[in-house]
Amino acid sequence: MAMTPSDVWVMAEAARISLALALAAIAFGTLLALLLTPLAFAPFALARFGYWLYVFLVRGTPVLLLALLLFYALAAVWGRISPYAAGVVVLTIYLAALFAEVFRGGVLAIPRPLWDCCKSLGLSRRSIFWRVTTPLVARYALPPYLNVCVMAVKASSVLSIISVWELTLAAREIIERTLDVYRVLAVAAIFYFIMCFAIDRLGRRLESRLAAKGFAGERL
Amino acid sequence: MGQYRAWLDAYAQAYLAAAGWTLAIAVLAFLSSLLWGALLFFLRLSAGVWAERLVDVYVQLLRNTPVLLPIYLIYFGFPLIGLLWPAAICGGMALVLQNGAYICEIFRGAYKAIDRVQHDAAKSLGLMPWMAFRKVTLPQLLVHSIPALGNQAVLLLKDTSLLSAITVVELTMQAKVLTERTGAAYAPFLLAAAFYLSLVALIEFGTRLAHRSVQWR
Amino acid sequence: MNQVWQKIFACPPRPPTSLAIGLLLLASVLLTSVLPAAAQERSRLDEVLQRGSLIVVTLGTVPPFAFKDDKGELVGFDIDVARLAANALFRDPGKIEFVIVTSDGRWPAIESGRADMGVGGTTVYPDRAVRVAFTRAFIDSGISIMVAKSAGIKSLQDLNQEKYTVANLNNPQMADRAAAAFPKAKIITFDTPSGEFLAVKSGRAHALQIDTPTADYFAATSATEFEVLPTLLTASQNNAIYLKPGDFKWWLWLDTFVSELRTGSLYPKYVEIYQKWFKKDPPPQKFYLPLAR
Repeated sequence: MAMTPSDVWVMAEAARISLALALAAIAFGTLLALLLTPLAFAPFALARFGYWLYVFLVRGTPVLLLALLLFYALAAVWGRISPYAAGVVVLTIYLAALFAEVFRGGVLAIPRPLWDCCKSLGLSRRSIFWRVTTPLVARYALPPYLNVCVMAVKASSVLSIISVWELTLAAREIIERTLDVYRVLAVAAIFYFIMCFAIDRLGRRLESRLAAKGFAGERL
Repeated sequence: MGQYRAWLDAYAQAYLAAAGWTLAIAVLAFLSSLLWGALLFFLRLSAGVWAERLVDVYVQLLRNTPVLLPIYLIYFGFPLIGLLWPAAICGGMALVLQNGAYICEIFRGAYKAIDRVQHDAAKSLGLMPWMAFRKVTLPQLLVHSIPALGNQAVLLLKDTSLLSAITVVELTMQAKVLTERTGAAYAPFLLAAAFYLSLVALIEFGTRLAHRSVQWR
Repeated sequence: MNQVWQKIFACPPRPPTSLAIGLLLLASVLLTSVLPAAAQERSRLDEVLQRGSLIVVTLGTVPPFAFKDDKGELVGFDIDVARLAANALFRDPGKIEFVIVTSDGRWPAIESGRADMGVGGTTVYPDRAVRVAFTRAFIDSGISIMVAKSAGIKSLQDLNQEKYTVANLNNPQMADRAAAAFPKAKIITFDTPSGEFLAVKSGRAHALQIDTPTADYFAATSATEFEVLPTLLTASQNNAIYLKPGDFKWWLWLDTFVSELRTGSLYPKYVEIYQKWFKKDPPPQKFYLPLAR
């Protein structure tokens, strides 16, 4: 028994769910990361330690376990919650750690002389942040940021353990029924490719918009 | 707490063996993907427009598709053309293929972070192109990319869990086997997570060390 | 500054001893009157009846027990059994909600109370019974060996040679049976049947162990180049309904339901779904009754 066209429709529906989960998690994760990254540069050792601990625990634990623990902990506190909502929360927490590291790397990539320039110009903190740090970090961090966004789409596959139905689970279900492994995996790969490639192209366009002449970000 | 102690006593050996596999595969795959990613990046930089397009297509294909596909193709597909490699090697190769693509992108991002003026300065000093690369670009490239490479190493470590689909008994497979046998809801995965966290701590330590030692600022 | 520290860390004045004793007595009286009531917890059965629907956790990747058809609908023998349970409780097989997880997600779903019960090709093992409660079996699953028709292996004895590799699932009974029946063969372990089939198709293994109903299902549909060896590794592997332990009332109802299904008033319905999924008759209702009806 091979896969049928209606299976492809089922997978398309599942792909839509995967994309929705990933986009929601990317949006919220970015917001959370913007709150986290300043902690990494705070003058208080406790804040820096808190940041390091968060990134260490969230990046180091398999996302499977994060999903399990978070979902059932949340359910214990709030009663019945939608696994999809919990899935977005789990992915948000996970992606925030990855995004925060990307942003931190972006800040670290700013050449030292620029900070000295800011000091010598006597720019205020707020000025430095909005006119120097943000544009530069946006340029430096965009390629790794896109990397993480693409990872987000594929990372939603672990949520199947808390009954979130998405593309990888749908593919597994069809495979286990039909044993038509390569064809189903190929179709799933095509769906993933379309989603990830779209994100990547949008990002590239943003990258070239941001690139300024004679400055980091020129066409490569 | 007592039950976790009992678990540890009974299954510590199995977990340690599984952790050994995870670490071995992760280390070898990471080193190989560094080499492969560097080669890809170098080709992209210097071998002409067609090479650049080819590398781009390769990177796009491998970044945007689930890594389970190459894993399956190499493990189940290669025997059909006569290549019967052990499961760990097949999985490792698939991981290298994918992570090489990610690492090429990391180098690309780091390259863009180097000011154009640096290249112009190198030219004005009369340095040969490859000398300029070796003395000017490469050090800065490495420094900029170390945090992202460290991140990638952690992600690679967690990607080794996918090898459970092709019979490699690494940490996640070990946890799954135990969950299947004993019906415990969290304990096997919590134990596996403890091992993963220790390995991640090692990687993070190594990354910080590498970053501090090459940073000149 | 010193005085400030002293004020902060100075102990408050001690209350009179008699007040302390009085409060303690009051607390113990209140606790002992409340605790027995707390001990009579509501059973899951009461909760289910009040809710008016049954929540069942299941897998979606184990044909023919529980899987998705080509429209994406959840179907299977175990699913029909669960619907019969909902029917027995509410006179409506539709008052049921399925929570579909992967195999590791079954136990947290049950333990946390997210689902009332679970089905889905889940076998009873003593190791598991420490943490998960099982009813009696609602089907004997059995383990079969499937080989490629072209391989020329005709029996278990043929398989017991060093040149053969057998693909297993990560299922403890398969590992134990393999060690007993063909110790010389090499074993590789997958976490899904599709992995096993691919292994044999690609030449990495020569045979695979799989649940007998699943073997029959695949031999008829997707794996027609395979055949099922006539000797079973075991004829009976109990697949049952699982639930959170400690709730006797709920377990008793579910177990009674399964008992009625296999040997009592629900037997005709059992025959119906058994024939639908396995194309043959189930074991007779009682050993002393001649036929399946």
